[in-house]
Amino acid sequence: MIRFEGAAKRHPDGTVAVEGLDLEVPAGRTTVLVGPSGCGKTTILRMVNRMVTPTAGRVLLDGADVAGLDAAKLRRGIGYVIQQAGLFPQRRVLDNIATVPYLLGWDRKRARARAAEMLELVGLPPETGRRYPFQLSGGQQQRVGVARALAADPPVLLMDEPFSAVDPVVRAGLQEELLRLQAELHKTVLFVTHDIDEAVRLGDQVVVLRDHGHIAQRADPHTLLTSPADQDVTAFLGPGRGLRGLGLVPATGVELDGLGRADGWELALDAEGRPTGWTGPDGQLQGPAPVFVPARDSLHAALDAAVLSPSGLAVAVDAETGRAVGTVSRAGILGALAAGAAAAGTSTGTSAGTAKVPGGRQP
Amino acid sequence: MTDEPLVRWGWIGSHLAYLRDLTLDHAVIALVPVLIALVIAVPLGLLCTRFPRLYQPVALVFNVVYALPGVAVFVVLIPYTGLATRTTVMIPLTCYALAVLVPATVDGLRAVPEALRQSATAMGYGPWRRLAAVELPAAVSYVVAGLRVAAVSSISLAAVGALIGRGGLGYLFIDGFQRTFPTPIVAGIVLVAALALVTDLALVLALRLLAPWAAHERRATRRQRGATQ
Ligand SMILES: Nc1ncnc2c1ncn2[C@@H]1O[C@H](COP(=O)(O)OP(=O)(O)OP(=O)(O)O)[C@@H](O)[C@H]1O
Ligand SMILES: [Mg+2]
Repeated sequence: MIRFEGAAKRHPDGTVAVEGLDLEVPAGRTTVLVGPSGCGKTTILRMVNRMVTPTAGRVLLDGADVAGLDAAKLRRGIGYVIQQAGLFPQRRVLDNIATVPYLLGWDRKRARARAAEMLELVGLPPETGRRYPFQLSGGQQQRVGVARALAADPPVLLMDEPFSAVDPVVRAGLQEELLRLQAELHKTVLFVTHDIDEAVRLGDQVVVLRDHGHIAQRADPHTLLTSPADQDVTAFLGPGRGLRGLGLVPATGVELDGLGRADGWELALDAEGRPTGWTGPDGQLQGPAPVFVPARDSLHAALDAAVLSPSGLAVAVDAETGRAVGTVSRAGILGALAAGAAAAGTSTGTSAGTAKVPGGRQP
Repeated sequence: MTDEPLVRWGWIGSHLAYLRDLTLDHAVIALVPVLIALVIAVPLGLLCTRFPRLYQPVALVFNVVYALPGVAVFVVLIPYTGLATRTTVMIPLTCYALAVLVPATVDGLRAVPEALRQSATAMGYGPWRRLAAVELPAAVSYVVAGLRVAAVSSISLAAVGALIGRGGLGYLFIDGFQRTFPTPIVAGIVLVAALALVTDLALVLALRLLAPWAAHERRATRRQRGATQ
């Protein structure tokens, strides 16, 4: 766990970057700092690994003041990912990833083996390891940056706008990857972004900051979207809060109907029971049928499928077999939303209420 | 002036071994100082990057040295190092190379992207280790660019050493002038140019092989510069 106690940073020129910050970053969870440019996000992040020394207050890591720890040792136990990746141009990808293991004195073979594992973990093919960073795309470099930060298995991960420099499609992929990794690794992640959609998608806890690192609101994403603390936060969240919230509610709660017909539309299945399309009243097959996976996707994905479906019904399929297990109407999905919101609304404040939905599509 | 031809091939043919020896001597006199300068310039450049206040005075000293005429430096050095010794020629050449290599190293280290420095720090590199293991390799294209300039100008300057009797190919110029016999002069010019060319190509090739990332980097920065102009 990371704890800020009255932490402040005043620069020699008099600029107050952060003042009086009290914040708890729970272990094993993702905390996202979001706020306008210059509000002190990077400064707060760097207080944790001592790249910035607070001018007042302190930062505790598992109860110990980081000011009292050896800076190099502390940093080797904290993964750090930045926007520009910051890969070493002179080292091949595998050796880039093995940087911290090398610094920790691991022998070459073990460090390389570990790096190869990391490469696979972030979804890059093994041959990428022999390349130089300049031979990679921006998105691939960012994956390598994440792999490098994870290589020595640090319990804490600091990420400063790691996905801001890549295009939206690549960014969505990287976000998904991070959710998948986090579900597996349970790191204490402190993630900085200025993108509120990224914040609600990745965070168990979202901290909205104003200037000088003042906390405007700290809440789980669902609470943040449904009950912003004040006008400023509402303005910062922007329009469409309600629909965005759909991406946070898992589709597990929808009640499925049978595979029957609706207004003359009939679901066509192949021999294995996988949906191939909808047959209309005119007998024409329109395919493929929009589907969702209740165990994996969000209500947003389910509603999206229903809106796209010619029959108005979204088809629920099994994640492994792809077999149709039921259908649900638009009204049925919105019914589940009411039930889901009621359930999520009961867990407010700082505890992480809603489970993260890796497959959940965001608007 | 007789109607002496520009090149008398017969003389060249009968002096091949002599020309080869002069060329090798020239290469040693010109390039050993560059190597010595490199060995001094890299740590000095690291020091000047780590302690930026040091750089101004150091740069000033080397610039003044660079401005001194070579012949004057020989004259000053002869009482200490002796006439016609290699040392007398190589000391000023080392200083000239340093005047190119120290700024090249410092510029290269200063051009290292901040993101690289930050991420190295965040992974637990101390300032010295980071400079040597991360920033210096990232600056290698600048150092090699300086090396190319230093090597080529050193090859050209080394000819001046002939004035005190140690000049490798420079001796051919003096010989030619004294005898009003152009063949050695032409041979000297061609051999100096060839030596410079070969050295330069060797450096480019070495960079390609030893630091492929840097070869790419220079091409990329040149493209960027081209785009902004
Ligand atoms: N070395 C410095 N000297 C003076 N002021 C500084 C220094 N570094 C940062 N600041 C100021 O501190 C404030 C917070 O900076 P910080 O980098 O933490 O902001 P940020 O929230 O990360 O912004 P962005 O979203 O643009 O990255 C800014 O107003 C900045 O101008
Ligand atoms: Mg920042």
